[in-house]
Amino acid sequence: MRDITLGQYYPADSFTHKLDPRVKLVLVIAFIVMVFLVKNLIAYAAVILCVVLGTLISRIPISKVLKSIKTIIFLVLFTAVLNLLFYKGDTVLWSWWRISVSLEGILFSIKMALRLILLVMGTTLLTYTTTPTGLTDGMESLMYPLKLIKVPTHDIAVIMSIALRFIPILSEEVDKIMMAQKARGASFDTGGIVKRAKALLPVLIPLFVSAFRRADELALALDARCYNATPNRTRYQIMKPTYRDLIAVAGTAAFIVLVVALNMNFWGAYVPSESLWWLFS
Amino acid sequence: MSDKNCETGHAEGAVIKVDNVSYDYRSGEHVSRGVRGVSLVVNRGEFVVLLGHNGSGKSTLAKLLNGFVVPDEGTVTVEGIDTRDNERIYELRAKVGMVFQNADNQMVASVIENDIAFGPENLGVPREEIEKRITWALDAVNMSEHRKRSPNKLSGGQKQRIAIAAILAMYPDVLILDESTAMLDPKGRAEIMETIQRLNKEKGLTVILITHYMDEAIAADKIFVMNEGRVIAEGTPREVFSATDKIAEAKLELPVASKISAELRRAGLDIPFALTDEELTEGLCGLK
Repeated sequence: MRDITLGQYYPADSFTHKLDPRVKLVLVIAFIVMVFLVKNLIAYAAVILCVVLGTLISRIPISKVLKSIKTIIFLVLFTAVLNLLFYKGDTVLWSWWRISVSLEGILFSIKMALRLILLVMGTTLLTYTTTPTGLTDGMESLMYPLKLIKVPTHDIAVIMSIALRFIPILSEEVDKIMMAQKARGASFDTGGIVKRAKALLPVLIPLFVSAFRRADELALALDARCYNATPNRTRYQIMKPTYRDLIAVAGTAAFIVLVVALNMNFWGAYVPSESLWWLFS
Repeated sequence: MSDKNCETGHAEGAVIKVDNVSYDYRSGEHVSRGVRGVSLVVNRGEFVVLLGHNGSGKSTLAKLLNGFVVPDEGTVTVEGIDTRDNERIYELRAKVGMVFQNADNQMVASVIENDIAFGPENLGVPREEIEKRITWALDAVNMSEHRKRSPNKLSGGQKQRIAIAAILAMYPDVLILDESTAMLDPKGRAEIMETIQRLNKEKGLTVILITHYMDEAIAADKIFVMNEGRVIAEGTPREVFSATDKIAEAKLELPVASKISAELRRAGLDIPFALTDEELTEGLCGLK
């Protein structure tokens, strides 16, 4: 089966798994903002520490984490090379035509690569430790203000849950259809980009037909299970923040303060020595 | 029958009554036949099989039983509730649980226990009660150890057992399996057959199995054979299977043992009509 990290929950019994999904969602958003604010390498080191600690606490095997990075490795390398070649720095080390490699460029591309990798590592920590149901329940709960203005938040949550559930099913189906077309002589990896795109058409059409057929049966199955039977729907999975959530929030807050402090050289109180400038620029 | 008896689940008598029902599919000008003049009664605790080849109207009949479609003529009542009664349609659907052909298309959540909780949640069952129901339903289909797992990695038979558990958690009176074994391999089919027969015997659940495999009908209390929208034969497996002309009319295939014994009888051998391999062996060994 194809590897789709999104929606691939990794079952384990850890501190992070037991956190309230809503708290995790908010913390991840805070984390994303933090990553985008980080400027210097020493602050990046703190973020790396934060992510590594988070991964260890969540008991996610290193192979899983590497797998999630693997999916973006091309993007990371691509942006790193572009940044390296086109960043306009002062200390030019090598140049040719409009391309130049500078010391600042090297640092900048390292930072951008780190930023992407950290973003993925941090956010997949959420999807690895939270069941899709937890995620959708959490989002539904966080959308509560919208419910007051008559937005059908529960329906949205069910739609999200079904979408997550069907991602692996449909990707398996794509594989099957591609194999069937290959068996009949179709080729998906030769020719130019236009030819390849055209070759995908005989895959997409059966996929859509099958998806609609599935949707039809799913609609019946939802009805058979009395979906929308009562407005007083109950909830099996209840979310109650515990002391763990308090610890997680406090821990993340401490890290954010640390990162911001490092980022601003402790509000200018610390002046790095000449030889360490690259860490703090 | 009083409503009170229905609640306890121990009352004898008819659970489902189909009275002279006709239904056609209409889309614009086009009309295609569904079922015509079907009458049948399903009693509490029975294991009923609806047999028929593709297009015989058996799935339409299933859809009529839990109010997915309402009859053009005649009435369908489940424990006294008419399927036309829009006010009580969800009450009715909770009583008549339906499992479909493709288990993948029936699951809404990515973790098994959450999927099973979906039905009771929709019915507004309190949380502690849902917890109990999940435990009970998973135990009933022998899938307790998979509770916290994802359904994606399961075999076809296991997925279908989860789909059955998801319906059981709504505490239905009747379980309808609409071609639920059609997509499974022989092992998966055997799993499902074992599961539903056990539910029928041990939990007293009324089961309606819709299929075109005759060998799945051997253990039934009652069989209805459908062809071109009508019930053309009904009775115990022995009665129905030995009516070989009706079986041929319905384009169904007798189990091997029955086929052999029927042919041998036609050839003049004095053996009883056999439903199973064991009966055939016994019959053959009894020959002088």
